[in-house]
Amino acid sequence: MTTKILHQKANRYLCGAAMPAETRQIQAWLSCTDNNKAPLSEEEKTLIEKEILEEVRSYTAYPLFYPKEKPWWKKITAVF
Amino acid sequence: MSRNFIPEETLIDQLLLDDTTAFEELYHLYCYPLYTYCTNKLNSPVDAKRIVRDVFIVLWEKRRSLPVNFSLSLYLYQEVRKAVVGCINEKLETDKDLLTIQTQVIPGFAVVNLQQAKRPVKKTYSEIRYLQSLARDKSNNTPWWNQQPAGIATLKNVLQKAFNLL
Repeated sequence: MTTKILHQKANRYLCGAAMPAETRQIQAWLSCTDNNKAPLSEEEKTLIEKEILEEVRSYTAYPLFYPKEKPWWKKITAVF
Repeated sequence: MSRNFIPEETLIDQLLLDDTTAFEELYHLYCYPLYTYCTNKLNSPVDAKRIVRDVFIVLWEKRRSLPVNFSLSLYLYQEVRKAVVGCINEKLETDKDLLTIQTQVIPGFAVVNLQQAKRPVKKTYSEIRYLQSLARDKSNNTPWWNQQPAGIATLKNVLQKAFNLL
């Protein structure tokens, strides 16, 4: 397959105008979950998760509009 | 189940109440598997991050209009699959990363490689043990006529719970 054909197929698939065989081919490709890459370390995973979460936070600004409640022990310590 | 052992359904219910902690629990539950999936398909960590970020942004924005019996895993994987095809289409339109697509993505469409989608998913040892334990529980199910009669207190509790739910 060439990039041109893939482009046409992907375009038709996204527009919902793909032939049944094309749809099946793309869905089969999407369903292949063979992972040949070495898994990342826990630190790398955490780093990636943090990075994406920071971007989500800055985009939606939810920490600003819906701040987290302080835990009970923090409230008690604040009283003293 | 989240890291705090809260069921996913409860987290989704809390999400409707703008609970950011529940959102972040759900995020931590699905972020890495989705990221790995996208990286495997696109061979681009940058695009994978962008897709995962966008999917969670949309989830947060749509949190108040989630349907009843909403399946988060199904929703996330559907969105990510759509976004992966969209990303490839966009790259091909703008002639970006053509070499990566030619060498890494297109070989995946070969019939030999697509056969893998038909193979049953390999289960890990822990998953097999979990399924076996479920089967054992089912086989141990005693018929209703042999079961211990439920006490009045138990019945009261069950009815009270049902009433509370209503």
